[in-house]
Formats: sequence, C-alpha cells, structure tokens
Amino acid sequence: MYKLFLTLRYLRKRRIVYFAIAAVTLCVAMVLIVLSVMGGWLDMVMQQARGLLGDIVVDNKAYAGFPLYQEFIDEIGTWPEIVAATPVIYSYGLFYFKQTEQSGMVRVVGIRLPDVYEVNAFKDSLFYEHYYPETTHLGEQQQPLWGFDIDGPPLTLADATGETFQAYGHALPPPYQEALERARRAYAAARPGGADPVLRDPDSPDTPLNEERARYGLPPIPGWYRQNLAEPRAALQGDALPGLIFGRDIVARRLSDGRYDRYYPRGMLATLTLMATSIHAQVDPIPIKQAFRYVDDSRTGVFDIDSQHVYCDFQRLQDLLRMGPAERVNDAGEVIGSAPARCSQIQIKVAPGAATPARLSALTTRLEELYHSYLDDERFELDFTERQLVGRVSAMTWQESQAHIFAPVQKEKALVTILFGIISLVAVALILCILYMIVLQKTRDIGIVKAIGGSTGGVALIFVLYGAAVGVTGAALGTMLGVVFVTNINEIQDFLIALNPAWRVWDLQVYSFDRIPSAVNVPDAVFVALAAVAAATLGSLVAALRAGFMHPVEALRHE
Amino acid sequence: MSEALLEARGIGKVFPMGRTRLEVLRGCELRVAPGEFVAIMGKSGSGKSTLLHILGALDVPTAGEVLLDGTPTFAAESGVARLAARLDQLAEPVQRGIMFVLKYLLLATLWACLLLILAFPFLVLYLSPALTIPLFAVGGVAAATAGLALLLAGLLLVRLLLVHLAERRQVGLRRRVFGFVFQFYHLLPELNVLENVTISRMTECGMLGWFRRRGSARRQAREVLERVGLGERLKHRPQELSGGECQRVALARALVHRPRILLADEPTGNLDAEAGRNIMGLLARLHREGQTIVMVTHDDSVAAYADRVLLLADGRLQAARLA
Repeated sequence: MYKLFLTLRYLRKRRIVYFAIAAVTLCVAMVLIVLSVMGGWLDMVMQQARGLLGDIVVDNKAYAGFPLYQEFIDEIGTWPEIVAATPVIYSYGLFYFKQTEQSGMVRVVGIRLPDVYEVNAFKDSLFYEHYYPETTHLGEQQQPLWGFDIDGPPLTLADATGETFQAYGHALPPPYQEALERARRAYAAARPGGADPVLRDPDSPDTPLNEERARYGLPPIPGWYRQNLAEPRAALQGDALPGLIFGRDIVARRLSDGRYDRYYPRGMLATLTLMATSIHAQVDPIPIKQAFRYVDDSRTGVFDIDSQHVYCDFQRLQDLLRMGPAERVNDAGEVIGSAPARCSQIQIKVAPGAATPARLSALTTRLEELYHSYLDDERFELDFTERQLVGRVSAMTWQESQAHIFAPVQKEKALVTILFGIISLVAVALILCILYMIVLQKTRDIGIVKAIGGSTGGVALIFVLYGAAVGVTGAALGTMLGVVFVTNINEIQDFLIALNPAWRVWDLQVYSFDRIPSAVNVPDAVFVALAAVAAATLGSLVAALRAGFMHPVEALRHE
Repeated sequence: MSEALLEARGIGKVFPMGRTRLEVLRGCELRVAPGEFVAIMGKSGSGKSTLLHILGALDVPTAGEVLLDGTPTFAAESGVARLAARLDQLAEPVQRGIMFVLKYLLLATLWACLLLILAFPFLVLYLSPALTIPLFAVGGVAAATAGLALLLAGLLLVRLLLVHLAERRQVGLRRRVFGFVFQFYHLLPELNVLENVTISRMTECGMLGWFRRRGSARRQAREVLERVGLGERLKHRPQELSGGECQRVALARALVHRPRILLADEPTGNLDAEAGRNIMGLLARLHREGQTIVMVTHDDSVAAYADRVLLLADGRLQAARLA
C-alpha cells in the first residue's frame, strides 16, 4: 500500500513532474490529431473514389475492352447477391469550349446514367442534380435559360414586377418546372417573413449574389449570363445536343472558401474529339468530333478524377468509338457473322449482406469463372482476338482496383504516424530525466522507506507506478485535448481565419475537401493512450531500477 | 544471563575503498536479552552505526552472523534465494554496465529525437518517395533502440526480482521486529506527522489488507503520538516541527508496529540538551515497560540510561564502565 500512497503523494507534491505530464499530454494529443486527420483523409478519399465504382469491378486492362458484357450482366442479374450492374467504356479525348478557347485532354467515360445511379454514388457527386433533382441526363437537350443570371435568382425569372416564368409563354419541361417551383418555395421559406421570391435585394443592390444566397442556405448561382429580363426569351434554346458531365475541376475554379466559380452556364456548348481504335488497338487516323452540352459537373474529391474525367452516354460513346455490334466479314467482303459489342469495364453493386471482404472475394472468383466459361460457350462465336480479350477479364473489389489511389495516402499516414511517434519519444526521455532527477533528490527518502520495511521491488515499483501515473494522467488529458481539438478543428481554423485570413491552414484551393477531414477512431485513440502509458512506464524504468537497487545504508547517509 | 533475543557472533565488516579495504568491525560479539537496554559507545568512525545497521538487518556483515531468537537473520531461506544471493554478487559489475548503457542509450535517443524535430519542417516540405526509405530507416533504428532498451531493462528487472527474493527475510524483520530511530530523524518531508507514522504500518500489508486495517493502524499511530506528546500536531509537516519534536515523531514511527527491538542511532546527537533529555526520558520509560533497546551514542550522559554499556574499539566490543 505504501507504494501507491507514496506514488500519489509524489505526483501531487513534486511539481516538476507536471512538465512530464504536459509532455505526454501534448504528444498524445499530437499523435491523435495526426492519426485522426490522416485517417479522416484516407476515409474520405476511399469513399469518394468509390463514388465512381461498384463494389466489384470487372475489367480486362485492355484499351479495346471486352465483349459479351450484356450477356454477363443479364446472367448475374439473377444472382441474389447482385443488386445492379452496368457497363462502362473508358477512352481518351480532347474537349474544347469555343467561347473561352479552353481545351484539354480528358479521359472520356461512357456510362448508362440511370444504371450508374443504382451501382454507385455518382449521383451524389453531381452539382445540378443535387440541387435540381432529375434535371441531369445525357440525352439530347437544349440549353435551359434559368440559372444563369448573375443579378437574379437561378430559377425564378420573376423580376421586380413579380412575373413568373410562364409569363414568357414557355412552360418548362416537367422536371425543370418542378425543380423551379421547389427552389422558389425553398427560397421563400428561407427568407424570413416574406414570400417574395425575388432574390435581388432592393436595399443593397450591390450585395454579391452568392453571399446573399449562402446566407439562406441556397446553392450558389453558377454562370455569368446577364439576361435582359424585359425581353421574352425561350425557356430552352439552341440545338438539341447530347449531354456531357464534366469533372468539376475542368469547368470550375475552387475558391479559397471552398465554393466553386464556374466558368460556364449549364448547357454550354462543348466539343469532344475522340480517336476510335480497332479491336487490335489500332488508332483510326480520322478523328471523331462530337458537340455536347455541359449538363452537370461531378466532384468526387479526388483531384486526378475531377480534373481529367468527362462522362457521356454509354451507347453514344460506344457508337462513336465503333465498339458496338458490327458485321464480321471475310477477305472477300462477305458477311460471315456478327462481332459482339464491347465495353471497358463492368461495375457491380452487391447486396449489403454480401459486401464482407470474404464474401466479396468469393464472389469475384465466381464472376471470373462465369466470364471465362463464355470461352467454351457455343452460343458465342468469338474470334481469336475476342477470345483473348475475354480470357484477360478479371474481377476485383473496388479497393483492389483503386489501390493506386489509396496506397500513397496509406503510406503517408503510416509515415507521419511513425514520425510523430518518434518525436513522442521525447516525452519518454523527459520522463526518464525527470524521474531520475527525483530519485537522486529522494535518495535519503528511499533509504528511509527501506529502513522501515520497504523492499527492493517495492521501492522500484513506487517509481514505476509514478511513471505509469504520469502516463495515465497525460494520456487522459491528451486524449481529451486531442478529441476536443479534432472535433472542433474546422471551427478552430475558422477562428484563426477570422483573426487573420493568412492563417488558413487547410487551403481549399489546394485540398479537395471543404472541411478538414477528421474522424476520431476509437481503437486508434485507445491504442495511442495505452502506448503513452506503456512509454511513460518504460521511461520510468531506469529511475525505478536505480531506486530499487539503492543500498539502504548508503541512501540514508546521502547528503 | 537469560536466553538472548539478539545475538551477534564474530561480526566483521569490510568496506572496499578503491584498491584498499577498510576493516571496520573485527569479530564483534554481542548478546542482548529481552527487555535489556544496551548502549554501544565509541569514537566517531569506530563502526557503531555500521554494527547497528547489521544488527537491524539493514546491512550485511562480511563475516559472522546475527541471530534473532537463535535464527540467523541473513541465512538464505531457499535454493532460489541462495541462487539470487549468488547471482547478486556476480551481477554487480554487469548491472553497472547495463545501467550505463541504458542511460546513455536513452539519452542518445533523446538527442536523435531533438534532431528529428529540428529536421521535421524540412522533411515535411520535401516529403517525397525518396525520403520514405530514410524515414523508415530512422523508424527502424528507433524501434531497434527501443527493443534493445527493453531487453536491457528486462535483464535488470530479472536481477531486481532476484535481489527482492534474496532480501525477503531482512525486509520482514525490518517490518515486524526492528524499529529504527536515527540521529537525523529521517522523516519523509512530503508526509505529515500522522502519515509519517502510519507509513510504517503500510509496509506490512497490501492494498486490500491496508483498507481492512487502516482504522486500527491510524488509531495506534495516534496513540503512540500521544504517548510521545505530539497528539496535537498530527497534521503538521516535519519542516513545521522542532528537532526534538521530529525525533519524537521518528520514535513514534519506530514504535507503532510494536517492535521487539528498538535500535536507536545517536537519538540525541542532533538535539539540544533539553530535547535530548526528553527523548531519553521517553526511551527510559519504554525500557521500564519492557522494550528491548540497543542504542548507539558517544555521550556518557545518554549511555547512562542503559542497563549495560559496551565500547566499540578497534572493531571489537568490550564492556565499558562510565566515568
């Protein structure tokens, strides 16, 4: 009992040990914050990269793609583990906005939009679809007029006279009209005390519109058009062109406050130039040019994806790239059969119960076996090249397919944790020094304790318990500090920015996420706390051993 | 003479002083009967305190043996303890080496960590795949250092355990049989008067045992403190007491577990005459109540309280007659 009693007494009375507690507190908080931010970052990267994939990805790592995808999808559609599956085509192209002369190389992704909504979270990454549901599609469409007036609301074309959109005599197609009404109601409800849908504030006409809208929690207005509202215009105008969804970093600039400044209004004309390739990956020298309308933009949060991907309709891209079904001809030009259509990838969503790693692994094996069984299926007349392409097909989980994105973040997390862990050894060394000093100061007391019956082990245990108590106190305070800091990390940054905008740590122009990712992982926190207690105990060992081995008579004679 | 409670037979003690040896005790013989008050006198440096420490199981003689009720106080109890005692002798130089390495290894780690902190901004600024290997190498070295430190600490813990086993009997005697009073009181400054006395009882039991006996131990401590006239100063700290009061607290601490033998090392050596007389009055009263006392002093007037006075000269005890 004397061991615990003296430990607690020394903990209270020897104030120098507060420095050791402070060091442990700071180290625990530091490691916890780093682990939480890096872990949160990793989780967000994983979640957002997954937004473009299914639970399982079937691929053959060949630019020419692979055939028999529809037969495969139809067959697995009957399996109870499979919820949905959709084919995807990947190619490369050059986009071009005539109005701004913006152009660049992009990865063109052909998708069946409704099916993709079923398979993954792509829908959540879309801007307009989020705020104005059911208005984004990849079919042919004109440019909608609402939504672009820098001085007015995005949906209500009502001006000071209170006229509604229909006053122009052009009713919108149902989803647009519904979205319009929804947004008007939301705005009216958000605006205190008034049903006035007019966004323009008569008292302060110069108020920046986006700030005004942000105040009421409404989406920012994209675009730069200035409409002359006095002049009746068509609700939808221009040629009907297929829709193209852009990665957000292509069509918008991220501002320092996290919002995006879009360069173009919705429906803006864009041209895509593609190069068709044969099944043997031979590039057709004649490029294919297709006009599209920018219908929406997607933000996964992964910069490589958002700055390099555009999405168009699967069927249209398949036709443009000549990957659709074709006639097979012999050297004499006679039709001898048909070549099946090809896709680049199949994304599959599995039932929630089947999404465990073990079941996913078993499912990928079954899917691969099914696809490879087509090689021997007499229903399909595959030529040599097609057989090769089918033979290359493999199935993998979404984590495996995106390992190249996660691996660097995981490595950075491990690296930074190791680095901060090493720095935390300072706390161990500090405890060692402080406890050693206390043992030297307390030499005579150690002799006294031994003289009244303290044993060698008991005296050593006093200082081991002392180190452990420092560790427990420091770990508890550090965990509390770390959790409070991590939980309020964005508010702390907001406070710093309010003091001085230059103190922004998480620059939204640089990082993908609006908020500093932070998620306190309880097992991580417990591990860090236990490691701190263990390290503090270890740091006390030298002092404890010295105290334990001290000869009582020599200790009593110590001056 | 009646049966001896405490007996010293041929006690010798040699202190190694570098290349020379200082032989302090050369075959001391002593028999203390129950209830006897023995005073040991001698010049400064004659080995009085050393003899008292050996009698009280605080130190080990290099020759001879001490018997309590005819049982040696330093005899190894078991094969493990004998092995421990043997290893204890062998391990001394090894332990010094390990302590040296352990201390400087951890200090070297501290310096490495400080360097890393200084280099950290540069590491972050230039964090690139090329740095991965060096950083992991640093991590590996740190892990290896920590592993080595753990290994060495483990070895020392084994030795600590062996020493702990070897001294179990002596510790038990110090807890239950002997009570020490020192010249310089030796109170723990962090504890108040009551705690300084009760801590002696705490060493006798574990946590659960203490919670059972806590009430009675405190009551006994209060009683003893009242006997020595400090019933009103229970919450005072040693630094708030006079020298005489401190010595009375030390006496209370030595008596609280009702020791069979009270060992007093110059109990009045640090006190003025009045305080010294008070302490000796207390000791005389204890002696009258049957307490066995062995006291070391160089003061004739103090030794006069004893039944028997012995003189330690040339490392041997001999009967002395007070002037």
